[in-house]
Amino acid sequence: MSWLTRAGAAAAVKRNRRAPLLILLLAAVFALAVPRPAPDHVPFGEQQNVETANPLLCVHTLLENEVQEAKIKRSLVLARELGATTIVQFFPWAYHEPSKGRFNWERADRILGHANRQGLQVIARLGLVPAWARPSGPDQPSTLNYLPAESFEDFARYAAAFARRYAEAVKALIIWNEPNLSFEWGYRQVDPAAYARLLRVSYEQVKAANPDMQVLAGALAPTLERRGSAAGLNELEYLSAMYRQGAGDVFDALAIHTYGFRDPPAAEPNRERLNFRRAELLREVMIAHGDGDKPAFITEFGWNDHPRWTSAVRPSQRSAYTIRAYDYAKSNWDWLESLCLWALRYPADLLSYPDNFTLVSADFSKKPIYFALQDYSRQRARSEALWLPPPLDG
Amino acid sequence: MAAAAAGWLKRPIALGLAMLALGAIVAAALVAIIRHAAPPDVRTAFPAGEIVVGVDGSFPPFALDDGETLQGLDIDLARAIARDIDLPARFLNIGYYALHDALISGRVDLLISALRVDPARMDDLRYTASYFDNGFVLITDADDSDANFDALKEARIAYEYASSAESQIRDWEEDGRQLMRRPYELPQYALDALRLEQADAAIVDATTFRLYQSAHMDWSAKSEFISHDPYAIALRIDRVDAWKLVDSALAALKESGELAKIIDRWL
Repeated sequence: MSWLTRAGAAAAVKRNRRAPLLILLLAAVFALAVPRPAPDHVPFGEQQNVETANPLLCVHTLLENEVQEAKIKRSLVLARELGATTIVQFFPWAYHEPSKGRFNWERADRILGHANRQGLQVIARLGLVPAWARPSGPDQPSTLNYLPAESFEDFARYAAAFARRYAEAVKALIIWNEPNLSFEWGYRQVDPAAYARLLRVSYEQVKAANPDMQVLAGALAPTLERRGSAAGLNELEYLSAMYRQGAGDVFDALAIHTYGFRDPPAAEPNRERLNFRRAELLREVMIAHGDGDKPAFITEFGWNDHPRWTSAVRPSQRSAYTIRAYDYAKSNWDWLESLCLWALRYPADLLSYPDNFTLVSADFSKKPIYFALQDYSRQRARSEALWLPPPLDG
Repeated sequence: MAAAAAGWLKRPIALGLAMLALGAIVAAALVAIIRHAAPPDVRTAFPAGEIVVGVDGSFPPFALDDGETLQGLDIDLARAIARDIDLPARFLNIGYYALHDALISGRVDLLISALRVDPARMDDLRYTASYFDNGFVLITDADDSDANFDALKEARIAYEYASSAESQIRDWEEDGRQLMRRPYELPQYALDALRLEQADAAIVDATTFRLYQSAHMDWSAKSEFISHDPYAIALRIDRVDAWKLVDSALAALKESGELAKIIDRWL
């Protein structure tokens, strides 16, 4: 400082006081001047058509948590190339109405834009409660599946807004997922009467917004839980209870979940056993309640081929069982609109046995079942084996 | 004069207040140090007087519900941790997809269920240190002293078709490494191929390798991790005291060799 005059020092201090302001201004100018990377927008591309000999083929996609739009598109291209006509896709309420009455459709626009451009029909599954519509706090921790009765109308308004906006892009809505499992009902005792009320208020608002939108009920989980169980209630009793509550008037089709576990697809259905043809028992409940004219969609099914999961089969069995399931459904279930596999791909591998429900891995590697289904859709036989025979001693 | 007296009086008051503030800061610091050093109170951490453990009993050898009992590596580990904390363990057998909601909703105190540390869940969960690494391992014959990852050139490499092992091999090939792929339907077939000298190396996950070794005691092989998949115990993020107790119990089990014994019992 010795070479500064007093006046010069005072000016320097003033300049220093202004320095942060100048730096901020310069930063702002720099930020505006420097070109920023373009948002990760991927063009929808040319209109595509699905070519398939298996119109029942449908896959459940999980694109709601996919960050990169390129991966959304790539997943849907894979679905079309598989020969799927339809996808089931989850559209979480919490994502699209983050605060009451303020909708943000960006994610849904993107997913549906790509799906429709690939020629895929979409069944939208709705659920997942935003924080503003459920109780919260340390004394009452609630999961994202906790929908209090006082929020039914809010959920219905979301469903109606969705139905209105996507009248062209979506063919059906599934109201909630597996409400017969307590964890899917916010870890509360399951309550068919409450679900019937949710269905009614949703149906009325959706139909008022868009009379052509199909409303699918149920999506009930296959389970053997008995009445009074803390974990849930088997879907057969739950559906009967829904009908007793008058739910038959407020849905256009039933959504069914049915997994094969270790049984082949033609294994006889049995109330005490979970297998693929258990769907027929739900159908019997529909008929018993005078709803035999309504169609059904199987919106989740499949086999798992993890080497250590107790309910899994081998990869070759998984492929064979799945193809035979389509054959069986085509020949025997004239009430069925779609047969949707859980699941095309997870956005990230879980590194546990649920990964072995997918058709392609998170890095888009195609699994044996993908090739088997694609061959079936294209009515062609594969000439080369995918793997070597088991090694033999000597 | 009055103003001067007031000023004279203000000085000791200010000094007293400063001393009080300093005392409060020192006391708070001491409390923080003591709290940090002392183990959390068990009754505060687990007010129900038990540890409720969420497991998926369909995934042996970690947990298997045979209809009457739950058993497996995760069950034994949970019991050992509860013993260390001096509380009883109670198990809730929950399907994989319901595990995390059971924790968030307070149905269970912790999850021990062959769960990997998932960075995407860090906002809600607090993980302990890892108790097992189920990463992929490169297996070579123990008698082949030259065999290791760096020596693998033009080697016949066996793996489960369309598994993560295949993705790893693809990455190596993209890096210019020449390999001869030997895909099999099941991971144990890949190990059969190595054991029967129809492959030079195999890639499987650590659990598959250890189970295979247990079933083929006469075969010796060496393994080298090529990826890591740490399994850890998960607690809700606000259960800090419970997490401290469980994490320190796990550390004690590692230190005493008890964890290694539990793993050896099942794998």
